[in-house]
Amino acid sequence: MKFEKPLMRLDGEKMLIGIKDIAKLFAISIVTCCAAFVCALFLNYNIDIVGIKDKITNPQGIIMYNAQVASGKVVAGVSGGCLVVTTVVLLIFYVKNYIDSHGKELGILKALGYSEINIARRFWVFGISVLIGTVIGYAAAAVYMPTFYDIQNDMELLPEMQPEFHSFLTFSLIAFPTVFFMLLSVLYAFFKMKHPVLGLLRESQNIKIRKSKGKKNDEKDMPFLTDLKKNTIRSRKILVFFVGFSAFCFSSMTQMSMSMKELSSESFSFMMISIGLILAFMTLLMSLSSVVKSNTKTIAMMKVFGYSQKECSSSVLYGYRPVSYVGFAVGTVYQYMLLKIVVDVIFADFENMPEFHFNFKALGISLIAFLAAYEIIIYCYSRKISRQSVKSIMLE
Amino acid sequence: MIEAKEINKFYGKGESRFQVLKNITLTIRDGDFTVILGASGSGKSTLLNTLSSLEHPDSGNIFYDKTDITKLSESDLTKLRRDDIGFIFQQYYLLPNMNVDKNVKMGAALAKNKDYRTIIDAVGLSGKLRKYPGELSGGEQQRVSVARALAKNPKVLFLDEPTGALDEETGRQVLDYICTLQKKYGFTIVMVTHNVNIAEMADTVIKMNSGKISEIYSNEIRKTAYEIGW
Repeated sequence: MKFEKPLMRLDGEKMLIGIKDIAKLFAISIVTCCAAFVCALFLNYNIDIVGIKDKITNPQGIIMYNAQVASGKVVAGVSGGCLVVTTVVLLIFYVKNYIDSHGKELGILKALGYSEINIARRFWVFGISVLIGTVIGYAAAAVYMPTFYDIQNDMELLPEMQPEFHSFLTFSLIAFPTVFFMLLSVLYAFFKMKHPVLGLLRESQNIKIRKSKGKKNDEKDMPFLTDLKKNTIRSRKILVFFVGFSAFCFSSMTQMSMSMKELSSESFSFMMISIGLILAFMTLLMSLSSVVKSNTKTIAMMKVFGYSQKECSSSVLYGYRPVSYVGFAVGTVYQYMLLKIVVDVIFADFENMPEFHFNFKALGISLIAFLAAYEIIIYCYSRKISRQSVKSIMLE
Repeated sequence: MIEAKEINKFYGKGESRFQVLKNITLTIRDGDFTVILGASGSGKSTLLNTLSSLEHPDSGNIFYDKTDITKLSESDLTKLRRDDIGFIFQQYYLLPNMNVDKNVKMGAALAKNKDYRTIIDAVGLSGKLRKYPGELSGGEQQRVSVARALAKNPKVLFLDEPTGALDEETGRQVLDYICTLQKKYGFTIVMVTHNVNIAEMADTVIKMNSGKISEIYSNEIRKTAYEIGW
């Protein structure tokens, strides 16, 4: 006799994650695409260059060889590493947000008898975004590779090389990250599903109450809007981290890529600037959209009560501004320290290596770009909120 | 006085378009307790939202004294809500990360009302000022929402099924608080409910059915929250 799955189970599965939810992960696809592109390009080149080491006889060639191997490792390591960390943060943030906003559905499934692992294993689909990103990034690298090799060959310091296919690189840059991020999604979802059923069902579970230490702060008679601004930030620390992190990415990636222009070739720095800007804007856009989304009900209630658009925006959205400035400052220090270490330690033995100084021009450009991007995005979201009807927000 | 003239409201587009409010005309006097009574889907909440400026009618006019609010800009409507209107919803919609005192302050700050704690006292929550919504029962949360709405000294209080999520005893208690405060402050009440017993507490009852007003009548004697059935 053929055993059929009960209808309830099928409905339950349908309730979980749809294509629409996966489409929202395009940011992860973009970041992993950049990571796969950079790593595939530089690691492939490094593997090929090691293969011709014996053919290099002249001292200038050996210096060039060592420089290429070292800079390839640094570029792949630094940018690949940054992008992997970003992907981990983004993915966990997405899974957490998904569970928070679908707590009721997940709670119902758990109440119906679905086990934690049974629900959590459906989250593997979040890893598809990584698969899409890495495949596109790897394919783009494969297409660009001959041009990239030609640029290197044109310097005529090393024997001519042609790109070779390395199957383990394909595995390492596509299959391994995909499986890793699928497992990470499932494990994190499993961890989050450990909440009791009632905790998941209750919407308020997602908002942690931050009680003031002692009565002093609670009784401080500060204006309501100031109070709200402080409370909004305190109640969702993950958003504080994410806004700070996006500013950190923006600051470090843009400044690092501009500073690397002086330390490496034009094509290297162009790639770094492109990737840095993509990553910076993606994380900034995502973090600010999350800020708005998670505060829509508060904004709706304020609008119902007669608070103006400006008051709503200033109390909810503008509170994150100082956090973003701190993130930007930390990013500036981080990129300086990282490049200083690279130059002082890794390239210490190389001749003609330019001395590395703090790049004030890069800081200025990056800061202006950041301020403009931040304020434009905030403005766009404020406009979006003002166009939404109160009823539509409350029905969400 | 609130006057609605030939209000029509549609939802949806194309084939799924349907009329929720059909030629609604009514008058609500100052200081009146008006109940809009009807079954689920009769259009009573849409009417409340339209009368209170949360939704725009597709046609018709709504006058607050002599001001046609359907002609007001979004900023003027914000000012109207700020100065004249209070809301109480079935789902309370309290700010979860702010305590009772601060939730009520949300309303009080708009009216620069520094005596808002007397209202918290009036709804019997003075001992729970530092409690957060998640630490309160449904009835207590609704009382916070009552205090928050009244702390801004509204001229009109709109209530959408305020006892819908409460048990009988708590529901009666909340209604009693609202009526007591109305006597004290003299504001107008417009309340939506599906509970025919609650209608006995009102001065005027507007019955709705399929988007139309089927009956308007006045109660000669207003019953208290403890005299009505449930």
